[in-house]
Amino acid sequence: MQQNHFEIFGLPVGYQVDRQALAKRYRELQQEFHPDRFAAKSDREQMLAMQYAAQINEANNTLKDPVARAAYLLQLRGVERKAEQTTADGAFLMQQMMLRERLEEVREASDPEAELEELSAEAAALFKAQEQAFSDALAANALKDGESALSKLQFLAKLQRQIEELEEDLLD
Amino acid sequence: MALLQISEPGQTPEPHQRKRAVGIDLGTTNSLVATVRSGTAEALPAEDGKAILPSVVRYTDSGIEVGYGARAAAGDDPYNTLVSIKRLMGRGLADIKHFGEQLPYHFAEDTGGMPAIETVSGAVNPVQVSAEILKVLAQRGADSLGGELDGAVITVPAYFDDAQRQATKDAAKLAGLKVLRLLNEPTAAAVAYGLDKTEDGADSADKTIAVYDLGGGTFDISILRLSKGVFEVLSTGGDSALGGDDFDRAVAEWIAAEAGLGTDLDAGTQRKLLDAACAAKEALAAEETVAMSYLDWSGSLSREKLAELLDPLISKTLRACKRALRDADLSAENVEEVVLVGGSTRTLRVREKVEGFFGRKPHADIDPDKVVAIGAAIQADVLVGNKSREDLLLLDVIPLSLGIETMGGLTEKLIHRNTTIPVAKAQEFTTFKDGQTAMAIHVVQGERELVADCRSLARFELRGIPPMVAGAAHIRVTYQVDADGLLSVTAMEKSSGVQAEITVKPSYGLEDTDITRMLQDSYANAEEDIAARALREAQVEAERTLEAMLVALQENGAELLSEAELSELEQAMQGLRQAHNEGTADEIRSRVEALNTLSEPFAARRMDSSIKRAMQGHSLDEFDKP
Repeated sequence: MQQNHFEIFGLPVGYQVDRQALAKRYRELQQEFHPDRFAAKSDREQMLAMQYAAQINEANNTLKDPVARAAYLLQLRGVERKAEQTTADGAFLMQQMMLRERLEEVREASDPEAELEELSAEAAALFKAQEQAFSDALAANALKDGESALSKLQFLAKLQRQIEELEEDLLD
Repeated sequence: MALLQISEPGQTPEPHQRKRAVGIDLGTTNSLVATVRSGTAEALPAEDGKAILPSVVRYTDSGIEVGYGARAAAGDDPYNTLVSIKRLMGRGLADIKHFGEQLPYHFAEDTGGMPAIETVSGAVNPVQVSAEILKVLAQRGADSLGGELDGAVITVPAYFDDAQRQATKDAAKLAGLKVLRLLNEPTAAAVAYGLDKTEDGADSADKTIAVYDLGGGTFDISILRLSKGVFEVLSTGGDSALGGDDFDRAVAEWIAAEAGLGTDLDAGTQRKLLDAACAAKEALAAEETVAMSYLDWSGSLSREKLAELLDPLISKTLRACKRALRDADLSAENVEEVVLVGGSTRTLRVREKVEGFFGRKPHADIDPDKVVAIGAAIQADVLVGNKSREDLLLLDVIPLSLGIETMGGLTEKLIHRNTTIPVAKAQEFTTFKDGQTAMAIHVVQGERELVADCRSLARFELRGIPPMVAGAAHIRVTYQVDADGLLSVTAMEKSSGVQAEITVKPSYGLEDTDITRMLQDSYANAEEDIAARALREAQVEAERTLEAMLVALQENGAELLSEAELSELEQAMQGLRQAHNEGTADEIRSRVEALNTLSEPFAARRMDSSIKRAMQGHSLDEFDKP
């Protein structure tokens, strides 16, 4: 069972993941190894099934999530990172601060929903750009650049979460 | 070739004989048992023809009464008649004081964290009370299926935390049931509907399902995806203190205000108002307005007015729906099927609002009181092995995040809510003092930042850490949640090579010894009964083990075992068979243990070979693609 997450799903190791193939393969594997399939088997086999099913779930969760997947790819190349590292890119930080300021001022905007939608679209575009940057860095084995892109992805993911939370508040 | 001779006629049960399995909905107000017969799942009625068993247990001098009779006596004998016991499951005495005023019972002083209620036949705890309900349902199942049950699926609310799940499983054990799986109620409901729907042949497309479950006191929302027989729970949410009872309260308050009764009402008046409110609410399902009177006040309640009173409460449920959808990365338009569960979804206004929110008409064709038990029965039928394996698989999630207390009383989450189970997560911690040899580990469940706001599940200490400078020890804490949603925690110091390990059970769970003691209590010291039961249980375990082993050997014994290994296993099986037929419970158990240990490498090889096969199958698929 010493397989990496990509091997478990028979997917090529890389940042681009075919989400549909992943979901399909995930269900096939759980059909095979979920503990429910071992309900009539020996205790030992039930235990092994639980462990393997847990591993499949962990792999699926990592590969599904663009940020976790990036962190995992770096880990496979020997880069261990602390949970949330900051970035040294001043321009990026400045941009983040401005985005956050706008987020805080959404409530006062004349059309909060439209403003929030615009912010959301901008954040999504920035996220996509950093995903591309990460993918390129990984392909070139430029691990430092990869780490930097990952930090930015984490920032942007957090921003997107905050946008969603505000959206929920506004709708209530 | 020896393989084919292992099974001697009459010594092990025929592996392909149909098993007796039931699904049980152990509810707060009512409980049911259902089973699959000739391909259809149906709730099993009692002799009087009623399928519903009120979840009420009455203790008297002469015995225990469960169901309608007990419920009828609740008014006259409130201290010995226990209702809504599900609310106390997995709760400590402190939790209960919280809402204790609503319960008339006499609570005995603390007995190891679990509350005990004084009755005429002694103190009983919630696990024992629930076991009485389960026993009645299990007996009904056994009578109806013509023999001892092979297993049961028992449903729990999706929001049930670890302690509540553990308590439910303990109750089943106490009732002598083999639990095949604890299943979340909304998932069960989706199964009951989902399989129905695939019969029109439309199972090719993926389908997103929302299950809206509004009971008397709780609200649950689950978002699932159904794809080729796999039900994947994407997210779940809700409010464990919002339900039809709150509707009644809102209406009762309105009556009190209209009638000028003030707010400081005695318990009797409150009860009467609530009953009137509930009756009016139900009547409005058929009428546009109902006339109401109380003392010298009389007035009328219209559907419109009721909607106005209920809308704030219903909106709360819809907010929870929105949150669950967001957790699943979906919006309301993506939901293709909406399923209603729970008695409170009979309220017209609820249906309207739910339909408005999701933009489609919800399903309510299966009786909302029975749908959960029916889904559980379908799952039980699959798990016990009566159906072919392609039929159905449920991938459920953990409802509440699991965390650990860190410095400053903060929670660090190890497993986030809505993570698919089973799951295992490990995290490393370290010592903060030089020479520290022990570390306290506090396991909590909940979404809040502060430990004080989360539910405390267990505390334990890892001892025997070799003295080191602060920060040098690597203590790896692993949380493992099984397919029932039950947690076990392991902690290990690994930097020095010295390993210490402990596995905990939740604070309000029962130790196995407690269960044994309660079983003994329930037999009122009839020694032979206890012995007979222990022997029977050991025999069943032996049969199960032998059967599993036979199937495994037939599948790939020849391929994976050397002749010497094979003959060793056969000897161990022969030994177990003999013990099964002639031995004591202890002898049988030790033979089962021996066989399990001996077959461990075989089990591991079987798993590896399945994994290899699964991988190969995949590679071939890949080649087929252009």
